[in-house]
Amino acid sequence: MKKYILPLLFVSTLLLSCTKEVNIDIPGYVKTIVVDGSITTGQPPIVLLSSSQDIFSPTNLQAYIDGFISGAVVTVSNGTNTVTLTEFCTDNLPAGSEAYASSIFGIPEDQLANFHLCAYTSLDPSIWGEVGKTYTLTVTHEGKTYNSVTTIGQPTPLTSLLWTPAPGQDYAKMKGVLSDPPGQYDAYKWELKYLKDPIYTKDFNPFFNDQFFDGLTFDFDVSNPMGYADTSISNQRDFHLGDTVVLKMSKLGKPEYSFFEKKYNQIYSAGNPFATPTNIPSNIDGGAYGVWVGYSPWYDTIICQ
Amino acid sequence: MFKKLFFLLFLFSLTAAKAQESRSTLSGYLTDSKNGEALIGAKVVISSLNMAAVTNTYGFYSLTVPAGKYKVEFRSPMYPIDTKEIDLTKDVRFNYELGANYQEIQEVVVNAKKGENVNSTKMGQIELQIDQIKTLPAFMGEVDVIKAIQLLPGVSSISEGGQGFYVRGGGPDQNLVLLDEGVVYNAAHLFGFFSVFNSDAVKSVNLIKGGMPANYGGRMSSVLEVNMNEGNNKGFHIKGGIGAISSRFTIEGPLVKNRGSFVISGRRTYIDLIMKAAIPDTSPFAGSSYYFYDVNAKFNYKLSDKDRIFLSGYYGKDVFNFTDRDGGFGADMPWGNGIAALRWNHLFTNKLFMNVTGTFSDYMFKFGSKQDQFRFELASGVRDVGGKVDFSYFPNARHRIKWGADYIYHTFTPTSVSAEADSVVFNTGEAQKLFGHESAIYLMDEFDLNDKIRVNAGLRYSMYQHVGPFTRFIKGDISTPDTAIVYGKGDLLKFYHGLEPRLSFRWLISDQSSFKAGYSYNYQYVHLTSLSAVSLPTDIWFPTTDKAKPQKGWQGSVGYFRNFFNDKYEASVEVYYKGMKNLIEYKEGALPGDNVNDNTDNLLVFGTGRAYGIEFYFKKSVGKLTGWIGYTLAKTERTFPDLNEGKVFAAKYDRRHDLSIVGTYKLNERWTFSTAFIYATGNTLTLPTSWYIQEQNLLYNYGERNSTRMAPYHRLDISATLYSKPTKKHTDPVTNIEVDVKKKFRSNWAFSIYNVYNRANPFFLYVDNDGSFAAGDVKISVKQVSLFPIIPSVTWNFEF
Repeated sequence: MKKYILPLLFVSTLLLSCTKEVNIDIPGYVKTIVVDGSITTGQPPIVLLSSSQDIFSPTNLQAYIDGFISGAVVTVSNGTNTVTLTEFCTDNLPAGSEAYASSIFGIPEDQLANFHLCAYTSLDPSIWGEVGKTYTLTVTHEGKTYNSVTTIGQPTPLTSLLWTPAPGQDYAKMKGVLSDPPGQYDAYKWELKYLKDPIYTKDFNPFFNDQFFDGLTFDFDVSNPMGYADTSISNQRDFHLGDTVVLKMSKLGKPEYSFFEKKYNQIYSAGNPFATPTNIPSNIDGGAYGVWVGYSPWYDTIICQ
Repeated sequence: MFKKLFFLLFLFSLTAAKAQESRSTLSGYLTDSKNGEALIGAKVVISSLNMAAVTNTYGFYSLTVPAGKYKVEFRSPMYPIDTKEIDLTKDVRFNYELGANYQEIQEVVVNAKKGENVNSTKMGQIELQIDQIKTLPAFMGEVDVIKAIQLLPGVSSISEGGQGFYVRGGGPDQNLVLLDEGVVYNAAHLFGFFSVFNSDAVKSVNLIKGGMPANYGGRMSSVLEVNMNEGNNKGFHIKGGIGAISSRFTIEGPLVKNRGSFVISGRRTYIDLIMKAAIPDTSPFAGSSYYFYDVNAKFNYKLSDKDRIFLSGYYGKDVFNFTDRDGGFGADMPWGNGIAALRWNHLFTNKLFMNVTGTFSDYMFKFGSKQDQFRFELASGVRDVGGKVDFSYFPNARHRIKWGADYIYHTFTPTSVSAEADSVVFNTGEAQKLFGHESAIYLMDEFDLNDKIRVNAGLRYSMYQHVGPFTRFIKGDISTPDTAIVYGKGDLLKFYHGLEPRLSFRWLISDQSSFKAGYSYNYQYVHLTSLSAVSLPTDIWFPTTDKAKPQKGWQGSVGYFRNFFNDKYEASVEVYYKGMKNLIEYKEGALPGDNVNDNTDNLLVFGTGRAYGIEFYFKKSVGKLTGWIGYTLAKTERTFPDLNEGKVFAAKYDRRHDLSIVGTYKLNERWTFSTAFIYATGNTLTLPTSWYIQEQNLLYNYGERNSTRMAPYHRLDISATLYSKPTKKHTDPVTNIEVDVKKKFRSNWAFSIYNVYNRANPFFLYVDNDGSFAAGDVKISVKQVSLFPIIPSVTWNFEF
């Protein structure tokens, strides 16, 4: 019994801190439009509009749905063409777009038709993403106009993608080798999918920049983000013999990266007293929250064999 | 203009001295007969002339009076008044050991300080003897100097677990913390739960929170002067304490009897041993641990009747390790201070005293982590090498003149980062070091205009040079590449300098009451930058640079001081206003990694601040029941053009109400009880006002800075100390008479209960969310984290 006294003393000290829910007044809520837009090489622009909510407002599914904004005028210009985007809604989707709609709204495909959630996009290929072009987004809603500009830069090819399991094992993480272009700012987003899948999956924080490795060639571990959802397999964070995997490594600009850097910093520092309260810097003029981002992807496919 | 003022002041002193014909000077050192230690703040009084002198930090006094024979009183806090008749028809050097004829010291008789708060020109200045501090309730049984001063009006901690302390609305970096004149940059162990000051090694504590005299500078808000024990020069002694989480051990004794002595004191926590026992080897967290240790050492030697040297040192370190084998993660975080001071006292004449000090101070913080093949290390720190010389001149009983100069060579390493993955070493840039020369000269005179009015006037001229080597990064935007300007070793980037006038004044209304006023202007050439909502070792010390200007501040205060019942009760009311310029904060959204390949000051924004308040203090220092009540009503605000849309916001340590009630009751020679109650308005903080969705992630938008306030902080602590019997019966073999003799070995049990009524005080608040929108179970709530509930503790202390 005696030998447990000291550990108990310590453990009780550690557990001395307690957390409880409290009621507190947080003044200062102002309803603000949120722009979540992107354009990728070879793909149409996609824009979701929603409103910010009071911190203590309801947070149920209906509140989430009611937060989306319909009826705004959204245009995208590439300097030559200016196209007004069309609203496509979950209860009236073009055939073949269900998986993508499910991924951007987080609603299972078989339930999409039960909701009226709309995204602004265009089927006009003249406004789809092209490397080297700058895209201007303009949103007009309730008498206010919001503007943002993003550029699709040159992609950086992955030097190689390797899968080398230990002898006797049929699973391993992949190893990517990247040669970062020297003397310029580079930011990356990486996503993966099995070849058969319709959409890409992100890891916890899929963004990084070359702050520490400008101009260097280095390798890095690539975990399997799809594995989380698949509880039927062991070693979920690894890739398995026979997998065919596509890695999508997209470049993005500095202000856009800053948005995502601060976003994930906020997510991971939630509840951490050692972190400073950080508002996420938007690249939308006019006081909107959110981001308008151009992605320049490079694809690499590997068969685990 | 100021040159003339200096000259006139000096001339006035000299002519005043010259005019005193047929005068004699009584001077010398006062020491404690128990151990030979210098008595600080003891008084030498000639009541018939209504004249007095006070001993300085080294126990020296000098009093010039008309020639004659006088009854001279020697007063110290430890002993009753000792009176000697001294023939002062000529100059007399009188070194005296107080208490030699006094046997019983159980009851602390506070008489040297009687009337001091009314008589002196000191405003916002409080001296605490370590014996007083040791009677207060102690957290986990560890007596703490910083915790004790936080019970005084105008002084507060940001929270449990917060580092440092806050004085009259100033930041934690605005306090000059000195250990035997060496600068302490981080006075906290264990994230502020304990201070670096080992109570067994400390002799006295002096806090100046307003009306800073001209011999101090470099900080805007306060001076906390901690003096270490010198060591017993009569005989060897050992003392120590064994507590729940730490133990202390001190040895002291003579180097050469009555000429020199030493003291070495060490302390270590054993939380790591407890953790090792608590966490099994099979646990992924095995190897995680925390401990701190510190060592104080001091040597002093009397070279001659006129010369004495002191060597003081401190070294302490906190070490935190965390291991998560399952996650492939490991981190270690050591931080600590190293301080050394070498001092030489020289007495030129019985009126002119000099102290020369050489100091070294080093503070470092490191963080290393390893995640799979990725390794990351971050280090920051500051190193000072400096020296100072101070002269004290006592031309006559009406003047006490001081002048001197000081110099510090600063080396700051705000952030040094290295990272590698397997064999690839990432480019994190060169470790940025910043170099600066800080220096000052000063002159001050405390003089009596008449029996009622005493003035302390001083002028300090401070300088700072930001010198190379240095690389100034100029960040480009998307279309403009980054550039850099490189400065060579010794290149002068910027020179700042300024005059710092100091003035305080006392008008003695009666022998029981006085009115005081003070004004001080200060430059501060170092800053503390913090990215977190609470104060941590990760906060970065940063110097003044070509871009970051020195902080400047002024403080004005007035006060009424009144004693009652023959000085048994002391009361005061002080009102202050403080203005501050060139305060720094990080830009909105700055991240720790932003320091890499950039200058820290490129991430800073600059603003102003103001603080004002009224402090009430009521103290009973004599009798079985002693203690005080302090109450502060205050406000402190900040304005930064680049923060909070330029609007005024409350400082994070803004506290409207701050109340402390401290009481000690000495029941008998064996039992002493004490209690402390604290009430403070809750701290401010910034919480999100709204949420929104991006890529299905729930994100927050924060409202105005520090616009939310936590619940009030209040707590009651109690303690009881049981002392062993101080004497034992001894039968004289010759006379066969039984007498009481003092025990050589003495001990006490200190029982304490922290947070008696188990108040869940807020440490911090955060907004939490759980669930997903798709599942329809998202919940946003505000959570409060509290640290310490009721904690009983017991410590056994001993000495022989």
